[in-house]
Amino acid sequence: MTRQSTLHFHRMKDMPSSHLLGTGTPMCAGCGGLETLHTLYDILGDKTVFVNAAGCMTLLSVYPFTPFRGGWLYTAMASAPAGAQGVRDAVDILLQKHKLQADEDVEVVVITGDGAAYGMGLSATSAAMDRKLDFIYLCYDNEGYGNTGQQYSAATPHAAITSTSKGSRGYPGYKKDLFSIWAAHNPAYVATVIAAEPLDLAKKIEKLQSLSGPRMLISLAPCPTGWDYDPQLSVEIGRLAVQTGVWPLKEFIDGELRHTRVPKQRKPVDEYLKLQGRFRHLFEPRYDSGAIAEIQARIDEYWARVVS
Amino acid sequence: MFRIRFHGRGGQGMKTASRILGSAFFLAGYEVQDAPRYGAERRGAPIFAYVRADHCAINERGIIRHPDLVVVADDTLVGMPAAGVTEGVNENTLLLINSHESARTWARRLNTRARILILTAMDEVEDRAELPYIGSRCAAAAAVLCGVISRDLLLAALNEELAHLPDEVVKKNRDTAVDVFENMAGEVGLVSQGGQQTANDYVRPAWITLPFESAEISNLAVHAGATSVLVRTGLWRTMRPVIDYDKCNGCWWICSTYCPDGTIDVGADGFPQIDYQHCKGCLVCVAQCPPHAIASISEQLAREQENEVAS
Amino acid sequence: MTRKLVTGNSAAAWGARLAGVDYIPAFPITPQTEIIEDLAAWIDRGEMDARLVTLESEHSMITAAGSAASSGVRAFTATSSQGLLYGMEMIYTVAGWRTPFVLVNVSRGLASPITLESDHNDIMAARDSGFVQIHCATCQEIADGVLLAYRLAEHPQVRVPAIVNLDGFYLSFTREPVDLADASKARAFVGEYDPENLQFRGNSPLSQAMAVLGGGPYSYFRYQAHLALQQALAVYDEIADEFAEIFGRRYQMIDCYRMEDAEYVFVMLGSFSTKARDAVDSLRAAGWKTGLLRPRLFRPFPQAQIRQLLQGRRAVAVIDQNISMGMGGVLHSEFTSALYGTGDAPLVASYIGGLGGRNISQQEFFAIANELEQAYEEGAAPPPRLLYTEEELTEMRKLQAIAQAEHAQIHHN
Repeated sequence: MTRQSTLHFHRMKDMPSSHLLGTGTPMCAGCGGLETLHTLYDILGDKTVFVNAAGCMTLLSVYPFTPFRGGWLYTAMASAPAGAQGVRDAVDILLQKHKLQADEDVEVVVITGDGAAYGMGLSATSAAMDRKLDFIYLCYDNEGYGNTGQQYSAATPHAAITSTSKGSRGYPGYKKDLFSIWAAHNPAYVATVIAAEPLDLAKKIEKLQSLSGPRMLISLAPCPTGWDYDPQLSVEIGRLAVQTGVWPLKEFIDGELRHTRVPKQRKPVDEYLKLQGRFRHLFEPRYDSGAIAEIQARIDEYWARVVS
Repeated sequence: MFRIRFHGRGGQGMKTASRILGSAFFLAGYEVQDAPRYGAERRGAPIFAYVRADHCAINERGIIRHPDLVVVADDTLVGMPAAGVTEGVNENTLLLINSHESARTWARRLNTRARILILTAMDEVEDRAELPYIGSRCAAAAAVLCGVISRDLLLAALNEELAHLPDEVVKKNRDTAVDVFENMAGEVGLVSQGGQQTANDYVRPAWITLPFESAEISNLAVHAGATSVLVRTGLWRTMRPVIDYDKCNGCWWICSTYCPDGTIDVGADGFPQIDYQHCKGCLVCVAQCPPHAIASISEQLAREQENEVAS
Repeated sequence: MTRKLVTGNSAAAWGARLAGVDYIPAFPITPQTEIIEDLAAWIDRGEMDARLVTLESEHSMITAAGSAASSGVRAFTATSSQGLLYGMEMIYTVAGWRTPFVLVNVSRGLASPITLESDHNDIMAARDSGFVQIHCATCQEIADGVLLAYRLAEHPQVRVPAIVNLDGFYLSFTREPVDLADASKARAFVGEYDPENLQFRGNSPLSQAMAVLGGGPYSYFRYQAHLALQQALAVYDEIADEFAEIFGRRYQMIDCYRMEDAEYVFVMLGSFSTKARDAVDSLRAAGWKTGLLRPRLFRPFPQAQIRQLLQGRRAVAVIDQNISMGMGGVLHSEFTSALYGTGDAPLVASYIGGLGGRNISQQEFFAIANELEQAYEEGAAPPPRLLYTEEELTEMRKLQAIAQAEHAQIHHN
């Protein structure tokens, strides 16, 4: 894999102004996951093979329509990292045997939703990291099984209403800490990102391009359909996720954890929650101060550890 | 058999309309089938749902090919081939269109022999994705036109199907349905039930023997880049972002970067351009533009204005 | 060519080695594991230029085999039983990719109950997937079958993955003399891997294995895979002829033993069929005109050839080492369906035998021949029979007595 990037993301103006990913995909209007993917694609370029697991983005390509200009392979829900293993190994073998020229090399990128990443595909992901597979993994995390109508997944946050947690208190569980699970494998790179912070996203993509081995990204993916909000709020909600401290932007590299954005004055979590229908029951018919305080306390506790 | 098809956009409640009507038929003693048709489409994309009702067991299944009644919640779909509103419509079909335009205008525009009625008493809204109570309105209108469902049965069905909603929302839906029954009192029973396909007189399917084609041709693969641009997702749009170039400060990146679909490119002059063939109308750009140079206008109005300019 | 004693597993590994495979995604399972151990050892010793990667499951292993083959390398993998079923989603999926590679399955009975011994329910579960299936009766056939399978799978008119099946224990761990093909001749026979237009490379757009909308395109792709398997029937003989020319062994798609004038025919798959060969000889010596018919190629199913071979016979006993719950033997269904409506069809009797590695004795073959003769005389096939003796039930009762000791006590109290 050639490891050079001609792009340098210092300021917002460095962001790409035209886009590689084809328009016309069936993703929902305002999809926060697609927003991350198109930035990733702009920066990586078309010498990529995306290996896709079952999720919303299964439908990126529907025969004969594909938004990709390079490679794309659909596998199954559980085994996208194994699909990436086969592609990476095959390309390496062909390069070694001079059946592919160096400039025909590709970067292999797994894309899965949280359903696959946090659940069914975790074993395959863990194993790909064990094997030090040279690949990029993008999880677009919309905190539920979105493609089937937003049932709760292991990524669903506490108290969120989903179509399988419609009770008055929402989802009783807590979002799984996939970042730490991944980091415990000590891969080349782990980071959380969000499309609403494009410069942070671009810098992280640029950084992982300079590395080899497993390079893992979890992108919180605001989801107008599953989170129940007006699509035009997608970026606003994403930004609030960072500003309230709900979604810490961080990276793990060489055994070290670093927060790439530490909000100086964290906004109260209410501001993030109240924009989303999945949390409306915390505000209507009356303000559920207990539940919101608990959510806030967990965030505060997290950041207290970070800052200390 | 009654065969009724509801056409709308994802989010307009066509599935609910079909379920209310289906339940009403059922309460009226009919055998019923009702189903939505899901595709890969999302909010704003054309979708449809359908209802069959008969006094005997219904053996027909799947999409209704030859409807007796077609109810269109959003008239912007009528001229859109992908929406399939006029598919299988013939002189026996009744076409009910939620529109401000007249039946005569639609008849001329569609060049159809189908009977056309206009669903009245609708206040225009800016964003067609938010048409108020349109599901209940369509279900009630279909009930009136079929002529075999009383107002009370329709309301009972509506209660059943909307039981999960807050009381005041259900009440507004009920009021809407009651209005429809009053306003359409003169149109009861206009739908004529279609019969069965006869075996005496039919067109033989043009079967072929599928030829073998080697995997080089028949593999499940696309050997071309970005063919998705052939899909006009701009049709999903109910609201349109419009850039006011007098206000745009050419910041270069914000609208273009945030557009989830990558439908905004920045030209050589440093100003963004929106690709309306693909923009789905999420309006993230409107919300994010720092100098507020992007406004949102009703897609319906925008198209009407374009039509005026064109003519 | 060297003749040496090797196990069935080793023969499978030799097949892969001689085919010049580039890539081996692997996962251990009894009784297959020796295959990947052999390959790993050869690679470690530098005797084989390939890459072996142990995945974390068969599901992942089959995904990697498919994606590697779709990326331009010759891939090989192996599994058995529960592993094949764990990977079954991908068996169907990668077949739809129309990507050629070879998977060796070492047949073993499925849970529950758990067993390590052989029967064919695992491989039958893959019957409708779109893989070619070649079933082997000897270790020689395994080594050669892998080479034939690559040629068949990679043929431009076919291009689907293939399974080479062998029976656990009876072949997997059993050594037999095998002529190992000369490496250069084998390579020449198999040829270079040509992925045709399936290959990811920088600057070349290729999206694979996506969804379709609607039954029309879906029907097209599915039926084309079916037609491709039928093409495999057409090209099989061509490939087998070429193999025979080089290596002197001709593998018919249906192995026939003393079928010329046979009135009564045994039908079997796999290694147990050699027991039937012995039975045929003994029965013939006793004056019974018997024969054996064994499909080597099970998918595609050589229906026309079977029809032709069985027309005019008196009766056929299909002995299935599998069972379709609620229906019976799978092979029996396929044979009756192949023969139905043909003018001169024999009676077809169904026997289930050899489940979980249970032996089928010579006496049983003789008794089956006897039942066939009776059936012919009476003009009706006998009801399906499980090969199971009184003695076996007595043994079972003893086990049950132990298993249910306390249960029985409770009931008697």
